[in-house]
Amino acid sequence: MPPRLAVNNLQSYFFTRTGLIKAVDDVSFNIAQGETLALVGESGCGKSMTALSLLRLLPEPGRIVGGEISLDGRDLLRLPDVEMRRIRGNEISMIFQEPMTSLNPVLRIGEQITEVLQLHQGDTKQQALEQAAELLLQVGIADPGRRLREYPHQLSGGQRQRIMIAIALACDPKLLIADEPTTALDVTIQAQIMDLLLELKQQRQMATLLISHDLGVVAGNADKLAVMYAGQIVESGTVKRIFENPLHPYTQGLLQCIPRLGQKNNLSTIPGQLPDLRKQLEGCLFLDRCPGPCAPCGHQSPENKEIETDHWVRCWRY
Amino acid sequence: MSFLEVKNLRKSFRLTDSLGRAAGQLVAVDNLSLSIQQGETLGLVGESGCGKSTTGKLILQLLQSDAGQVIFDGEDLTQLSPRQMRPYRRRIQMIFQDPFSSLNPRMTVGSILSEPLLIHRLAPPRQVRDRVIELLEKVGLTAEHEQRYPHEFSGGQRQRVGIARALAVEPQLIIADEPVSALDLSVQAQILNLLQGFQQEHNLSYLFIAHDLAVIEHVSDRIAVMYLGKIVELTSADELYKNPRHPYTEALLNAVPVPDPDQPRPTALKGEIPSPVNPPSGCYFHPRCPYADDRCRQQQPELLDIGNKHLVACYYSEQVGRFLLQK
Repeated sequence: MPPRLAVNNLQSYFFTRTGLIKAVDDVSFNIAQGETLALVGESGCGKSMTALSLLRLLPEPGRIVGGEISLDGRDLLRLPDVEMRRIRGNEISMIFQEPMTSLNPVLRIGEQITEVLQLHQGDTKQQALEQAAELLLQVGIADPGRRLREYPHQLSGGQRQRIMIAIALACDPKLLIADEPTTALDVTIQAQIMDLLLELKQQRQMATLLISHDLGVVAGNADKLAVMYAGQIVESGTVKRIFENPLHPYTQGLLQCIPRLGQKNNLSTIPGQLPDLRKQLEGCLFLDRCPGPCAPCGHQSPENKEIETDHWVRCWRY
Repeated sequence: MSFLEVKNLRKSFRLTDSLGRAAGQLVAVDNLSLSIQQGETLGLVGESGCGKSTTGKLILQLLQSDAGQVIFDGEDLTQLSPRQMRPYRRRIQMIFQDPFSSLNPRMTVGSILSEPLLIHRLAPPRQVRDRVIELLEKVGLTAEHEQRYPHEFSGGQRQRVGIARALAVEPQLIIADEPVSALDLSVQAQILNLLQGFQQEHNLSYLFIAHDLAVIEHVSDRIAVMYLGKIVELTSADELYKNPRHPYTEALLNAVPVPDPDQPRPTALKGEIPSPVNPPSGCYFHPRCPYADDRCRQQQPELLDIGNKHLVACYYSEQVGRFLLQK
């Protein structure tokens, strides 16, 4: 069976006044039905730009300059704008980190959920309201009739994120993009929301792209993992294999610098910081921070190689 | 007597509606006592709105408490006039979560760091510049950063500037309010190591405020867990992790996601964090607590020592641990 989402050699560049930034540079991955792929990496590595590219919503001066994004066999990059608009919020939905800024503060919750249903499914107002109440129950909000009449500021952070999930799921999307869905929430609420997402994914067999910087959240919630660094995927494979046997020095570094409960050893660090992508960089982008560079790293960029079945790495060591 | 001794501290805020009429009160910190020794780190952990940051501000006298004492090196800071307080503002420093909003965007890093040196007369004017460069190097920056403005730095570098500013005045106690929660993982580890290095070098005391239990446990000698303005458990970091005695601590430990796909997924605590404006009756945690019974709904348990300086506010502390995930 072909994967639900296949991204091949995606390139999204930003043409800024101070130079060209390759925010997404030759990124490939795929996600099957019912599967969760986690995209991890530090701020500025291109995670969110990859997600926005899937929706063709890159902010100016960004443009997708190459590659292929296919959802159930259709290449999204070749669709006219009108058709793309039908896909957004319908076949592909997205939930964001900060639910307060992505909900409209002056509209009642009910209006925000029914808008999606009326637009994409042609429901009448009454049908849409009934379906919205049903959705709220599914995302664990009690007393949906009252909640539908309330405004976002009347809800807690966790409830707002539940509303965002209800809006995203309203049209039964094939692909859900969750961009740091629990980063702004407290730990006990985070666990509730991740449970909810897992349950809904299993019921609906959605493909999920989970963007996160929290390797703990990733370990418990994703099947596959892709590690991004400076616009490139430097390692990808199943979550289990990568946590057991990380190959790329960046992945190894990330896993070692997490404070773990019950362990008081000194934290190891990754020295330095992300390279300035405006400069013309030669060779491996991780070179400056790598603990063990080898001969070709300085002048030639490493290729993405499959080291064992479905475990890919972009590093000259292998 | 400990180096810092906080006794029965209380702070409430009066709430008003949109027309300025009284609309109840919010008790942010309620009868809170804690102590910190020289060279010790006390971690303060809890979820948003539980009063952790308010506690930090009360200690520094940035907020005025309703009741209670803050005894620092033998002096009750709550009784001091602003003028008398000045030398203590040097000895107690604060590091904030967002180093961008706490650094003046119109000042160069050099002037940000020299200002406290001049105000507190810690270096003769001619030596200020040398001292600033020494501070920059100490936190892992270089002399060439001196002439730059905060916006030219990354988040991690800005936090280094924030730390350099706190260290500039040679403090004895540092209140670090979520100092790493805005930072990336690899940078977070750098900053935590930096803070721990200075502690050893200068025998500093830290009050380390954070919501991330793994970070708190990593840096702290002892940990206080707060829920809705009250400390519900206080003990050594090791004991808290191995032998939690309050149901909320147990729930927090269970909710921390473990970076290991072979470990069980975290278990979720049911319910929402109640509003501090309208707290539940009895024990504030009872609506979310799996151990609660009628007594918990009616009476509020006191924070008591159950042995070995392990303080817990729970009637059923000996039962707690039943639901703890083995990680």
